[in-house]
Order: sequence, then C-alpha cells, then structure tokens
Amino acid sequence: MKDAAPETQDAGLSKAEQRQSRFAFVRSLTLLGLVLLVWLVLSVMTESFMTSANLSNLARQASLWAIIAVGQTFVIITGGIDLSVGAIVGLSSTVVAVLLKAGLPIWLAVFITMGIGPVVGAFHAFGILRMGLPPFIMTLATMTGLRGIGLLLTDGQTIAGLPNAFTAFSRQSFLGIPSLAWMVVLVAVPAYVLLSHSRWGRHLFAVGSNSEAARLSGISISRTIYLAYILSASCAAFVGILTASRISIGVATTGEAWELQSIAAAVIGGASLFGAVGSVPGPLLGSLLLTTINNGANLLNVNPFWQRIITGALIIVIVWLDQLRRAKR
Amino acid sequence: MTLLDQPRGTAETSQQGRFLVELKDVHKRFPGTHALKGVDLAMRHGEIHAIIGENGAGKSTLIKILTGAHKRSSGSILWQGREVALATPQEALDLGINAVHQEVVLCEHLTVAANMFLGMEQRRLGLLNERAMARRSQEILDDLGFRLSAAARLSALTIGQQQLVATARAAIRGTKLLILDEPTAYLTRAETDQLFALVRRLHSQGVTIAYISHRMEEIFELADRVSVLRDGELVASRVVAETTPEQLIRDMVARSLGEIHHKEDIPFGETLLSVEGLSGPGFSDVSLSVRRGEIVGLYGLIGAGRSEFVECVFGRRRRTAGQVTIGGRALKGVNEAEAIAAGIVLLPESRRDQGLCLNLDVGFNLTLPIFRRLSPRGLIDRRREAEAIGTQMRALDISAAGRQAPTWTLSGGNQQKIVLGKWLNHGADLFIVDEPTVGVDVGTKLQIYRLFAELLRKGAGIIMISSYLPEVYDLSDTLHVFRQGRQVRSYGARGVDHETILADAMGTAKKISNGGKAA
Repeated sequence: MKDAAPETQDAGLSKAEQRQSRFAFVRSLTLLGLVLLVWLVLSVMTESFMTSANLSNLARQASLWAIIAVGQTFVIITGGIDLSVGAIVGLSSTVVAVLLKAGLPIWLAVFITMGIGPVVGAFHAFGILRMGLPPFIMTLATMTGLRGIGLLLTDGQTIAGLPNAFTAFSRQSFLGIPSLAWMVVLVAVPAYVLLSHSRWGRHLFAVGSNSEAARLSGISISRTIYLAYILSASCAAFVGILTASRISIGVATTGEAWELQSIAAAVIGGASLFGAVGSVPGPLLGSLLLTTINNGANLLNVNPFWQRIITGALIIVIVWLDQLRRAKR
Repeated sequence: MTLLDQPRGTAETSQQGRFLVELKDVHKRFPGTHALKGVDLAMRHGEIHAIIGENGAGKSTLIKILTGAHKRSSGSILWQGREVALATPQEALDLGINAVHQEVVLCEHLTVAANMFLGMEQRRLGLLNERAMARRSQEILDDLGFRLSAAARLSALTIGQQQLVATARAAIRGTKLLILDEPTAYLTRAETDQLFALVRRLHSQGVTIAYISHRMEEIFELADRVSVLRDGELVASRVVAETTPEQLIRDMVARSLGEIHHKEDIPFGETLLSVEGLSGPGFSDVSLSVRRGEIVGLYGLIGAGRSEFVECVFGRRRRTAGQVTIGGRALKGVNEAEAIAAGIVLLPESRRDQGLCLNLDVGFNLTLPIFRRLSPRGLIDRRREAEAIGTQMRALDISAAGRQAPTWTLSGGNQQKIVLGKWLNHGADLFIVDEPTVGVDVGTKLQIYRLFAELLRKGAGIIMISSYLPEVYDLSDTLHVFRQGRQVRSYGARGVDHETILADAMGTAKKISNGGKAA
C-alpha cells in the first residue's frame, strides 16, 4: 500500500478544489487587504493615525473585541448565538474589582473571576439542551440578568482604586507590542488548534451543519454545545478582567453592546449564522477592521452618530459581497 | 346551497369521453437518475383514474409534474386539448389542478376555516371577513358530514381529519383535476369512508380525480381506470372492471432479467442481533435475528411500521415490550448512544436531513465517524486523514468530485455512497439501512450493493428496509413482510415469488379475489 500513498494525496485534491482552497485563502487576504487599505487611507488623511500612541490604543481596543469574537465564533459555528458576552464582560469586570478591593491577591481574584465563564456557559448549554430554549432567547435572558447581578453587586457604583500592579498590566508592552495584544495570541493560537486541528473542532462543525448526522455518527451533541458556550463565556470573562485592568475601574455597565460587536466581527470574518462556517483568523481581522473604522472616524472628527451608520452599512456590504462570492461558486 | 354544490361548467360534462389532460412522451431527468421515461397518460373528463406502482416507479415525480412543482425535461402536456407549459405551481392552480398530499401541507397554527380559505380570503371593506369564512366553512363541513368545527386549530385535528380538510379545501377551489396522493395511508377506516364519500361526491360533479394508492381494495372500490407505472414507464392502463388484482400485481413487479442482482455468497457467522417480541408505538410483537454476513430485508407498504421498528431497535423510539440483544448483551433501548456504542449504525431514509453535513466537504463527511481514530491525542493527524479519505474515495469511486467539494454539489447517488461508505473503515457490527437506493440510478445501485457485500465480508450484518420489491427480494437472505405494524410473514432467500410477497404486504391476497368495483 506504501506506493499508493502519494497517489492518494493527488486523488484527494482535484484541480478545481485546489483553486477553491486557494480561493478561501484569497478571501482572508481580501479582508486583510481591506484593513490595510483603510490604514493607508487614514495614515494619509490624518497625522495622528500612524503614531505609536494611537496604534497601541487601537491594538488594545481591537484585542478586547477580538477575544470575545473568537469565543462567539465557536458558538456561531454550532449554529447558535451568544448574546450574553457583553454582559459577562461587565459582570466579570465588577467581580474582579470587588475581589481586588477585598484584598485578594491578583492571581486569586483573576482565578475566581474566570470561574464565571464555565458557570455561565454551562448554564446556557443546560438551558438550550435540557429546557429546550433557543440559544437566542437563552442568552438574551442572561444578557439582561447578568447585568442585574453586576449592578446589585456594586449597588450601581463604580469601583475604583484597584491595585497598581493590576491596572499597569494593560499599559505594558512586550517586544514593543501591547500586552493586551499578546493576550489575543494567548487565546487565538489554542483556539485555532482546537478549531482546525482537533477532533472537538470537527464536532463543532458537524453539529452546526447537521446535528442529526453528527449524532448518528456517534458524536455527542450535548458535549459539543457545552464546549462552545463555555468557551464563549470564558473568553468574555477573560475580556472582562482585561477591561477592568484597562479602564482601572469596575463598572457593571462595561461592555454594553459588545455582543453585537463580536457577532459583527465574526460575520465580517466569514462566519455564517446558519452554522458550520467560520475560522479563527476571521473574527480577528473582523474586529481589527471594526476598531480601525471607529478609531479613524474619531480621528477624522466624524460625527459619532455617523460612525454607527457607517458601521451598520459596512456589515451589510461585506456580508453581501461574501454571499455573492459564495453563490458564484 | 354551499360552495360545493355550485354548478360546474356544463361544457365540461358535455365533453365526457374526451380527455381532460394528456401527457405525451413525458420525460423527467434528475442529476444521476431518469425518473420518467416517456410516459403517455391520458385522463378522461370526470373519471377516477388510479395510478399505482412501487416506490421509485415515478408516481411522485408524475404528481410533481402535474402540479407544476417540477418542470418536465421533455414531452408535451395537453390540457383540454390545448398544449400547456405547466411550469409553476401557480399555473397548475389556475388551470384547476389541485393536489392533496399524503403529508398534509397546511398551516397547523391556523384554524380550519382559515386554512380552507387560505389564499382566497373573503374580505369586507378590505379587512378579513372572518365570520363569513367561518360560517361558509362550517356549512361545507356539516354538509359533508365531517363533524368538525371550523373554528378548531388544525393542529388539534388528527392527521386523518386534516386530510379531510385538505380535500374539502381543494374541492371549493374550482378544481377540475384533483390529485390524491396516498390519501388513506394514515387514515382510520371511518375517516377513509368519509373521504371516499367526498371523492364520490366530487366525481358526481364532474371533477376528474387522479388517485394514487398502494391499496388494491381501494382501487377496486373507487376507480374507473388504473394505470401502472414501473421504473419510470407507464406499463399498463386498464379499465378496472376488466382487470384483477393479480393482473395489476403482475404489471407492477414484472421486469427484465438483466436487472436481477444476486447477493454474493458470503458465509454466515454467529448471531449478531436478536429481537424478541418487540413492541412500540406503530408496531407490535416483532421477532427476528441477524447473523454476521446476512442481509435481513423488511418489506411492506408505507406506514407498515418498518421504520418505527428499526428506530426502536436503535433506541430512538420508546419500547413497550420485548427484548433486543446484540452480541449477547441486552440493550436497554433508552437512547441512541447506547445503540451506537453497541456497534449499531442507522442509515436513515432521508439522507439529506439525517445522514450528511451537506454544506461541509466530502472529506469531512467521509471521516465523520472516525474523528476519534484520526486524532489519537485529540489533534487530527492530517496524513492519516488524507490517507483515509483517499482510500475511501477510491473504494467508493467518487474521486472525480474531489475531497474538498461541498457535499451538496454531488449527485444523490454519490451522496448515498458517502452515507454508506463512511462506515467502511469503522468496524460497526450491525447496519440498519432505510430505503438505501431511493432516487439513485442503476449504476450507483450496483455500487451500493457492492458496498453492502464489502461490509458483510468484514463480518457485519445488515437490516435493509426497502419498498422496492426486486431489491429486497434479490438481496435478502431472510425477508420479513410487514403490514399495519405487524410482521405478517417471513421467508428464506427467494423462497417465494414476487406476487405472493406483494399480496402479503397489501393484505389483499384472498379477500378481493372476487374483485370487481363496489356498486
């Protein structure tokens, strides 16, 4: 059989698909190209864009959104949606602040706060699988509820006076790159391996494409759903901690509407809300693009109301272009 | 006077004897299959014309062409002597062609009245005139003796009652040709009688009725003329009063010798599965066993309880009595995971819905059951994956498509090969295949049969559900015939002739041998 191996590989990839896989590569390049184009335009049109201060600021904001968008992508691939991620960011930023104020060492406060992820994620999966709630409703409910918990916890107050060591982290850089951007690497690399190179990643796609086929093939639907929602909530809890460090306070209303940013980033990055389509680089580039547009609009003194309109229009155009390309195939 | 009794065009009645609809050399080709091969069919004004044939004979395709759901590939259709395109459902409706399907296609959440007037709502001052519609519907239902409330939600009705509503609905729409597609498959006897009364009534008003059924006694009770389809061809068109059930059965099953596929000789091993006295919703008291290397066929008509039975073995349906043992171990029958862990694989009938991840690529689907084996430490071993996919693709002869092609771009036959083929290297023990060759062409069929042989040689056993008699007949080592949820007879390999088996499945062997149309 040994001599058949090379032939096997040839038989596996026909010319048409080589073109197709190259096409997928080109697709991610287009998004990257779009980001670079916007950067180019902004650096020509403004003096302040290409300054290291602005770029690190941009990187920090993009990092926060990128991490929740990666988590969101896992859920979207299963055909679900997680509307609670913004609320989880708010809750975990207040929890970590409360714990730090109570005098807990940083590592312990972070460790406890990270527990929010698995707990909330598991609760989502439970509601979806056991109580039969659609993901949209289940996470819509926790989106509201978790904000309430954060507000109760802090009595609606802002928690300030966090330890310096904690708040300094978000301002530090390593090898000239903001530490928050390193956090993206910390999340995205394992996420990429999980999604594209592991058995569990395959399960996410299978469940999102056809849960019946997955089940008949011996894949556990419930384990896969638990995995997706726990990962998403954990990413959000992590971002909550990073946000608290970045803004040096704990506020229950932090991260408002970030769930929409994360969904937009995932979808711009090529994920399909029908499930079974998505990647890790996609949401990273998506959030970088969204952040760049916000940042550029600020620098250009564009009316913030217009910013929203532009962002909305952009989502429609990018996803529409993507649909066109898919249809042509 | 109700809507139903409105006088119909008298011109039509005077045209009695001439044709309402004529199909001339109608072909329908789907990718990978030739579903209708030059059908010539003519229906006279005002007749009840039965259309029979085995599953896959082309009945549903014929209905879809008549109702405009599919456009014919070639051939012509004459409507009252005039050539028509019949390319859209709307055109069919405009001509007065209405169909009532075996599965009711109505809005479950709306009331009976709303469903009856769906798309032709009565208005007053631009707003819905609910009261008038409810009154009208109620009159019609009462008039027909249906004892149904027009205000009831459709979802609160039995399938049989919904079927009646669907038929009454078609009746008030100026229907000239009413197509009934196995309307009684899920009806009780009383509901069937009500439906027949309605059909006769429409018939007396000059409506032409195309009646598709598997049930011989209904054809002899109701129809004037009967046409037999076989393998996409119209093989006979007979006057009911001049024929017998035996003749029709011969028409349905006769075939050329070239199509016979004998199962390869594979020695049987130990008993793999044994089922004793299994009962559940939709079937009762079924016992059978499967040995390694054996194909056990389950034959019967739609609704005979075969799928329900295998789903119960698989743990998908509740079990009310009986025992299932596989490899000497008793199955509790509580869930599918247990069955899968015990080595049972179910290949469902609707492969598109249940068998494949259609928007993912071929390679993904081929390795779906063996992700674990390809990833000994969690990470997928790419080289092993490529080898597994390559081997599978050559074995299944689907290399042309390419492993990264989305599965939905493949033909039905190639899709079915993937559904089966992905298990080749998996080492499951018992395969339950439900209608494995529906909608695939002859060449693909042979490849699927070869896949079966491959699985059997590896020591598996197969339970095959098929409504295509030649297939179960030729391939099965043991054949069980089901009728109305019961296992009515079991045969050894090719022990009897087709006619006997079909008669067993229809349950009409002796009862209607005196034939004739009910007065």
